[in-house]
Parts: sequence; C-alpha cells; structure tokens
Amino acid sequence: MQFDKPATTNPIDRLKVVGQPVHRIDGQLKATGRAKYAYEWHDPNVPYVYGYPVGAAIAKGHIVSMDVSAAKEAPGVLAVVTALDVGERKKGKFNTAKLFGGSEIQHYHQAVAVVVAETFEQARAAAALVRVEYAEEIGAFDLKDAMKTAIKPKDVGGAPPDTAVGDFDGAFKAAPVSFDATYTTPDQSHSMMEPHASIAVWDGEALTIWTSAQMIDWWRSDLATTLDVEKEKIHLMSPFIGGGFGGKLFLRADAVLAAFGAKAARRPVKVALPRPFMVNNTTHRPATIQRVRIAAEHTGKITAIGHESWSGDLPGGQLETAAMQTRLLYAGENRMTAMRLATLDLAEGNAMRAPGEAPGMMALEIAMDEMAEKLDIDPVEFRIINDTQVDPEKPERPFSHRDLVSCLRLGAERFGWSDRGRPASRREGNWLIGLGVAAAFRNNLLVPSAARVRLDHEGVITVETDMTDIGTGSYTIIAQTAAEMMGVPIEKVVVRLGDSRFPVSAGSGGQFGANCSTTGVYAACVKLREAIAQKLGFNSEDATFENGEVRSGNRSVPLAEAAGSEGLAGEDTVEWAKLADSHQQSTFGAHFVEVGVDIATGESRIRRMLAVCAAGRILNPITARSQVVGAMTMGVGSALSEELAVDVGRGFFVNHDLAGYEVPVHADIPHQEVIFMDETDPYSSPMKAKGIAELGLCGVSAAIANAIYNATGVRVREYPITLDKLIGGLPDVT
Amino acid sequence: MSKMHIKLTVNGKPVELLAEPRELLIHVLREELSITGPHIGCETTHCGACTIDMDGRSIKSCTVFAAQANGANVTTIEGLGTPDGLHVLQTMFKEHHGLQCGFCTPGMITRAYRLLQENPDPTEEEVRFGMSGNLCRCTGYQNIVKAILAAAAELNAVKEAAQ
Amino acid sequence: MYATNYHRASSVADAVRLKGTGEETKYVSGGMTLIPTMKQRLAAPSDLVDLRHVAEMKGITVSGGTVRIGAATTHAEVASSAEIKAACPALSHLASLIGDPHVRHMGTVGGSVANNDPAADYPSAMLALGAMIVTDRRRIAADDFFTGLFETALNEDEIIVAVEFAAPEKAGYSKFPNPASRYAMTGVFVAKSASGVRVGVTGAGSDGVFRHSGMEQALAGNFSPDALSGVTTDPADMLSDLHGSAEYRANLVNVMARRAVAAAT
Repeated sequence: MQFDKPATTNPIDRLKVVGQPVHRIDGQLKATGRAKYAYEWHDPNVPYVYGYPVGAAIAKGHIVSMDVSAAKEAPGVLAVVTALDVGERKKGKFNTAKLFGGSEIQHYHQAVAVVVAETFEQARAAAALVRVEYAEEIGAFDLKDAMKTAIKPKDVGGAPPDTAVGDFDGAFKAAPVSFDATYTTPDQSHSMMEPHASIAVWDGEALTIWTSAQMIDWWRSDLATTLDVEKEKIHLMSPFIGGGFGGKLFLRADAVLAAFGAKAARRPVKVALPRPFMVNNTTHRPATIQRVRIAAEHTGKITAIGHESWSGDLPGGQLETAAMQTRLLYAGENRMTAMRLATLDLAEGNAMRAPGEAPGMMALEIAMDEMAEKLDIDPVEFRIINDTQVDPEKPERPFSHRDLVSCLRLGAERFGWSDRGRPASRREGNWLIGLGVAAAFRNNLLVPSAARVRLDHEGVITVETDMTDIGTGSYTIIAQTAAEMMGVPIEKVVVRLGDSRFPVSAGSGGQFGANCSTTGVYAACVKLREAIAQKLGFNSEDATFENGEVRSGNRSVPLAEAAGSEGLAGEDTVEWAKLADSHQQSTFGAHFVEVGVDIATGESRIRRMLAVCAAGRILNPITARSQVVGAMTMGVGSALSEELAVDVGRGFFVNHDLAGYEVPVHADIPHQEVIFMDETDPYSSPMKAKGIAELGLCGVSAAIANAIYNATGVRVREYPITLDKLIGGLPDVT
Repeated sequence: MSKMHIKLTVNGKPVELLAEPRELLIHVLREELSITGPHIGCETTHCGACTIDMDGRSIKSCTVFAAQANGANVTTIEGLGTPDGLHVLQTMFKEHHGLQCGFCTPGMITRAYRLLQENPDPTEEEVRFGMSGNLCRCTGYQNIVKAILAAAAELNAVKEAAQ
Repeated sequence: MYATNYHRASSVADAVRLKGTGEETKYVSGGMTLIPTMKQRLAAPSDLVDLRHVAEMKGITVSGGTVRIGAATTHAEVASSAEIKAACPALSHLASLIGDPHVRHMGTVGGSVANNDPAADYPSAMLALGAMIVTDRRRIAADDFFTGLFETALNEDEIIVAVEFAAPEKAGYSKFPNPASRYAMTGVFVAKSASGVRVGVTGAGSDGVFRHSGMEQALAGNFSPDALSGVTTDPADMLSDLHGSAEYRANLVNVMARRAVAAAT
C-alpha cells in the first residue's frame, strides 16, 4: 500500500476496538512471570551452557597479546574465543563501534573475549583469568576539550547540519531584548531493566538466536554481516523484550559472542551482558553543549532564534541532533541552527528515547523561560505568541496538524498555572515551592512496515509481523487494529511478533512503531478483506466486516465459513510517499511541574506533574497514557539525577550500574496526570495516529528546571540539577 | 569445589538439588529449576527484579547463596497464581496496567505480596516506600501503586465479608 | 565469582571453630555487603561461615533500661520491634531507613557494625548511644570499636554476639540518603542521657563514623536545634566524592543534626 493521499473515512474510524481502553493482551503472561525473555528461552531438551564476556581494560589502543591458558584450564570451561581468534570482522551497517574481532580497541569494555563454561559461575570465574596485554594510546574523553576540534558533518540523518534563514546576526544585534546562554546535558544511560541477552544455537550453518532486539531485521542483517553468514540462515526471535529505549535498536555484542561461543563450544550458548557492560560496552545518549540565542521585540515576538549544539562520538559516528526541534518549534524571521561532531573515544553514542529532541528541548525550553522572564511575559503566553502553523524555515510547508497552543492553554488552566508567583516567593516549612512549564515537541517519523494476516476456519485472525513489543503495547494495539478491520472481537485475534520469519515491520524506535506497524497491519487486513470478498464473489468495496461476518447487500457469511478449511491470508507493506514533504508532521504537548526544594539541603522533590499531548488519534488510551507517564518519570531522572560520570583520564563511565546511576524510584514520583487532545491527523496514516512515547519525555526536564528556578531563584544550566548546584544560591537558613 | 546438597520448598513443592557453594539462589531457581519468573536485572541488589519470598520475607535472590537458603521455604511469582487462577495482585497489575515491558513485574508483584502481609492497609506513601527496593524504567510507577492499593482494598473487602 | 566453601554454624563456638578451618575464611550474616563484593571479585574468601542460624546471636531484650540486640537480628526486626520502639524509637527509625525492604530483611546489626562501612547507619547510633559491642570474648566500648574506614577493633576470628546500650532519655536520627544506594550521604544520631549528650555522624567523615564534640558541647547545655546554630563542621574532615563535595557534606552534617535534635523523642 502506498500512503500518498490524506486518509479519508475507513473501517478504523468505527472505533469499536481501536481507541478504546483495551487491557494489554500480554498482561496475563507478564503478571504471572510466564512471558519468556531472551535469557530464559528454556527448552529442557536443549543443554545450554554459559558465556561470559571479557571487556577491554583500556579505552583506546591495541591488543598486543592474549593469554587464555589459565581460563581454558579452569573448571567447567568448554571454549574461550578471543577477538584475535575471530580476527577483523565486517561491521554491521548500523554499528559505529565494532562489536568483536581484531586487535583494535575503540573504547573501554569493548568485548575482547567470551568464555564458555558449563555453569554461569564457572564462566564468570574463568573470564577473570583471561590475561590481555595492551598497547594503550591517548584518547579524547572530555567533550569540553574535544568540541574545539569538532567537525561539521555532511549531513545528519538526511538533514543538513546547519540551516540559516534571514539575517540572524543582524536581527539578534538589532533586537531590543536578547538572550544568549549555554547549557549542558550529560551522557545518559537507557538503563532498561532487562540487560542485553542472547541464546545462540547452531545447526550446521544455520543459526537460531533468541535475543532482545527492538529491530528484528536490522539485527539479523548486521549479525549476518558480522558473522559472515547468509542472512537467510539466521532465525532471530525477540517475542518479549524487557525495555529498550533505543538501547536495543542495533546489534549488540551479546548476540555476536553467543554465536561465536556456541560455534566454538558446539553447544547452545547463552550470554547476558553484565549491567556495567550496558553502560561502557553498548550505547548511551551522548552529552551535549548547547548555545541558545533568542531575540525579541518587547511584545514578545521572536525576531531571531539560534541554536548550536556540540556532541561527541567515536570516529565515523553521529552527532546528537539537539538543534533539530528549533528549526520547527517557534516562529521567528531570522534563524540559524548548527550542529557539530567532536571525536570522543568513549563507548558509542547513539539513540536513546527521543534522540535529538530530548536533550535539545532540555536546553531550548529553559532558554524560552529565561527569555520570557527577561521580557516580563508569562512563559505560557510567550510560547503562544510565537506559535507557527507552518515550518518556519519553509513557510510554504504547513504542519499537518499542530495544536501546541491548546495544549498550553488547557494545561495552564488545569494545573492552576495562575497561582505561580515570582521566583523564590513561596515557602512551606523547609520547602521552597515553584511551578514550571515547557513545551513538548517530537517529530512524527514514517517507516515502511509489513504484516501478514491469516483467517482460519474457526474465524480466528492471526497477525504475524516482526514488529516488537518493548513494553509499549504493540501486541495490544495490533490486535485492536486487526479486530477493527476484520470486524471481530479482540479475543478472536492472535498476534505473533518479534520473529524474523514474519514480514519486516517498522520495529520499535523513534516513536514510529505504533503508527507505522498498525498501518502495516491495516494494509494486510485490506488485502485479507479483498481475498475474502473475492472468494465469496463480493465486491470488496461495499463488503462490510462486522460481528464476525462479512456482509454485502443482503448476503452475509460468517468469517469462519468464508475461510474454509484452507483459510485465507493477506500480506502487504505500507510505503510512505511524499506526504511528509508537503506537510510537516510533528507531535506537540505541554508539561507543567510543581517542585519543592529543601531550603537547607537543596534537595528537589517533584510534587505534581501534568502533560497535555496532541499526537493524533490515541490508539489505546491505557497504553498511551502509560507511555507518557513513564516518559515523564524518565524526564524526572534526566532533570535531577541521571548522569554518566566520565573518567576523563582513563576514558570510561564510572557509575556503570544501578548503584551509581540514579534512576527514579517509587518514592520519587508523585501525582502525574496526562491529558490527550481529541484529534486525528489524516496526513499521518489511515490510523490517523502519531507517536506518543517520546513526546512525553521532550520538555519534561526543562519544565522541572524552570520550576526549580521559580522555587529558588537559582538558575542551573548544567543538567542534572543536583543539590550542590543549587545550595550556594539558596537563602541562608539560620 | 564440591557441590552441596540443598533442600528447598519452592512454591509449596519440596525440591532437592546439588549446587556449588558460590551459586546464587537466583541462578539455581532459573537455571536448575526452570523457574524464570524472577529476573536478573542489575546483580547489585538494587533493581529488585529477582525478588522472591523466603521464609516470609522479601529478599533479592541475586544476593543470597543457594546454600544460605538451604531448608528455606521459597515462593516466587509462579507460586502466587497461574494464568487461569490469578492472585488478586496479578489481576490488579493487569487491570490497572501496572506493567509495560513486564521484566520487573514478577519481582514487583512478589514484593507487593509481602508488603500487603506486613501492612494490609497501606497508604499510598507506605506503598511507595514499601516498594522502594523495586525499580521500573517503563511505567513511571503510578499504575503499580494503583494496582497495589486496589489489591489491598479487594483483599480487605474479602476479609471483611468473611468475618 | 571465585569458588568458595560454605559452612553453617550452629553456635558461636562452632562458628569460631569453623573460622579456623579454611585458608581465608569469612563470616557471613545477611551478606548484603559481602556477596556483592564477592561478585565483583573484590573479596575471594576460601570459606564462608554462615551466622544467620546461631540462636545465641538472635533476639531483642530490654531489661532494667538496658537494650540488648543479638548480632544476627535483621534491620527489619529492629525496625518493627515493639521493645525497641518503646526504649529507643530513634534506633527503630534508623533501621527503617537502611537500604530497601529486601536489604532490611537480610542485613543484620552485627554485620553492619562489624563491616563499619563509612556510610552505614548503625555505627553512628552505636557511638551516640555509647553502646557496648559484645563479642564472643569481650565487651568493647563503641568509642574504641570503630577505628577507621572499614576498620574495627575486632580480632580476625572474633564474632560480635550482640550490641548493648542503656536506653537514652531522648534520641533522634536524621539521614540524607544517596538517592540510588540509600547509603547515608550524611546521617546524624543524637542521644541525650544522664551522662550528657553524644552525637554520632556517619557518611560524611573522611575517616568514617565520628563523634561531633562541638555539637555535643553545644547540646549539653541546651538540647534544641537552635543550640547548634554557632557550631561549625570543618570541610577538611569530610568526604568528597561524586555524590557531594566536602563543603556540601559539612553543611549536611549541621542540617541533619538540627533535624535529628528536632525529631528526638
């Protein structure tokens, strides 16, 4: 199916199942501990053994020699495979850092060996016996230094690194009010609860692998490249995934090590990355340094807006696209953005939930708050004054649907925004209280997605697609989509996901999964409807699918009967034509936060939060709300505590576990509310939905920062806003 | 190192097995007994994904040797309810959407089970502090707290009706 | 983890005997510090002697104003003990703040005191309460017991059997926990008794737990938060790390002390 015209009325608009608060269809399995994740694909008939990785102890250089004799002689050890043994490997298309093979060390904890033993503890103990001699080289680990030699890449994910409209410098100088500040965001860790894990089983040249992958086809292709086997020989499965947030988008070392280990040991091998490897061996959200400049008239109308960002990555890597949203979010005749990439020899920087916008909004939305204060205009009003209904860099290009203003107004009303006072004006006992606001913004991305839908003689609809459910609710919304399209109750739908034997889907990433994968299912259902109509001699245009039957004129046939003993199937792929060129598709929202800051310790506590989101049709308000609330919580961590601390001498992240990397717990999170604007976007898809999972994160941290400023009068521009950064500016307690 | 003979009662059933002294209880449960509801999230006693109930106490089974548990009575998520006969906590986690990826869920529910024995009628704040040893990165905790409070209310209503 | 042997002691004497058997034998109680340390291969004991099942080391008794807590008593048991709530509620409160519920279910008083982690909670209470650390062979005053970071006066095979202290007139504990580990970034225990006021500070000092003599003097005459207004804490004596600078901790010591005094009952 080519989606090349805005959607008109279609069976989804019936909203009998889609858009309804349907409980998760995988809830039962998960609540009983029976959902099987990668590391526990237990088959009593398969004698699994255990692989344990060895990580590089230096950040940059070469392996001179490896001595594995002690490890090989250790009790229970079946095989030791080293990077030198497997030699240089071709790198997967989506990997920046190489995962395993050859003597070059690109970053700390790069995998240099895997030790396979009969038990986990045997493997772990023997891994400590692998001796490696390195030739260490000097690396770059400090972004503040490396930014001086940062380069301008040719393009950033298909977009230019720089944009300029009008005369930014001239307008900035000429404006009656202007503002210029620099912000920093730290390296952050996805810290999903399930560590990366794989089980690899060889049968001759064929490899079966259970792993924890957000993108089945990307992993399969890149694993084939890295192992140098035919892609078709690899069967890869990820039916349940314990969270991803971008950390499982790209092939990781556990899959490669399990495959090599299983080959060498001639046994099925399971490998889980130890938690510290998740930080220094895999990917993380890279730190940024961002400069934001805004100039405006006294009325609040922005005349110039500029956003520059610097981030680092390994050579050949990518930058964090933190200035992207500033190209689209606010009006302003004169504008510039620029993004630069520094070379850093830390682990690979890559996508984490809302790459680009999440850190970009952390800076831009504090700057908007600061500028509003400078103008003496309420920050909600300041944003409304500068709303735009067209792409401000290309005014001929309207937004497909943009309702930021309503989000701000409704949120302000519901949250009691009018109670907000001047900075440091409200105190309750030990607590200084403040309110903050920020806009939310994240683009809506479109990725091809395929599915296969089968109807059997019992009237059961089975959907098969390699789409993944990383906790988002894919199983459920796909079942809702198929039920709506085929006119059956959701109980009649079986959804099978995360298997490379199924048609290639959009996968889970970039908040495109829900809209794109359900559209793929929609397209396959259209094909199945046609097949059913054709078999029955109906005109598919006027056949109605309802109550488990297909009806045309005065004739109706139960689906089970229509299927016959052979059953029927439909398969299709949605391809996205040029609609996104003519119309900018984005999602919008507003975050409101109330904080308390302890006057004596500087400790910040969130008191309440509200998000108002405009993201097209909400396919399932339960799963969508949970996405937003979870994202808001991640935003609390991002604002107040999450930071990978870099050892700039040795070149690694020091706090590489959950004892040191501080994610929010139950007690940190208070009352949270979410409101969805009632809207549809026919430009996005026949589902008329857009992404929501990342929108919930974009802007939250800035809203918290702004609330802390309102509480204390102390402006912190370096995330996270820890107590030590506040304490100096707080009023004396005694 | 010689293996030790270990006897446990797991989800009401007596089991005997051999384990090295250094083997952790979580590994024995998962790899020897195929009880894979409790998960390994962090291995540093922080995330609580491996939470089980041992002799009437919530513990993190990644930080207990199987040998230490010798003779103990262990309950895991598998012992609380089945898909056909859910424990009220499991029902409430499902109905209140107290889970997303589901990886933390077995530990979360097993801890909540003990929490409601320790404190059958907790306030929201007591739930939040009582659950502070269990991390979730997906849900934002709201629905988990709701599910536990709803389960407490349901269990108390059943108790009252019985009296 | 390196291989190890496991022994379960049935009595204190049995434990001491078992301690002598291996090359490098360690006692393990709740294991909340030792097991993570072993996983990281920072400890590699040849043998472990499990103390959790030694009956003599269990139980809480309060008689004639003296509180005795068996070393194998868990933090959860201390937190919920009616006797301790009556005799010294500040200590129940302290126990309820350690780690998380799971850790409190396993971790023990004896283990915490013997390990003397500079950020552990109990040592501050032991100092402030003037507790006696009762071992299998002697009684050691808390003032003599904690000798430095992770260092104590215990001999190699000596076992803490119990801790004892006289119930104070008033005591309070206030802690600022690290948001991830819940260890004390600063914890202050204040206790007032007939013999005066004692203040124990944990989590903050560069040499581990310590008594704050400036605060003790200030509070001796006037047991109120305001009495601490003029008292200073020297940042030069404070820890400085990823979680907080020495100056910040010095500030926290004073803030936590005021809150501990205000909360004292």
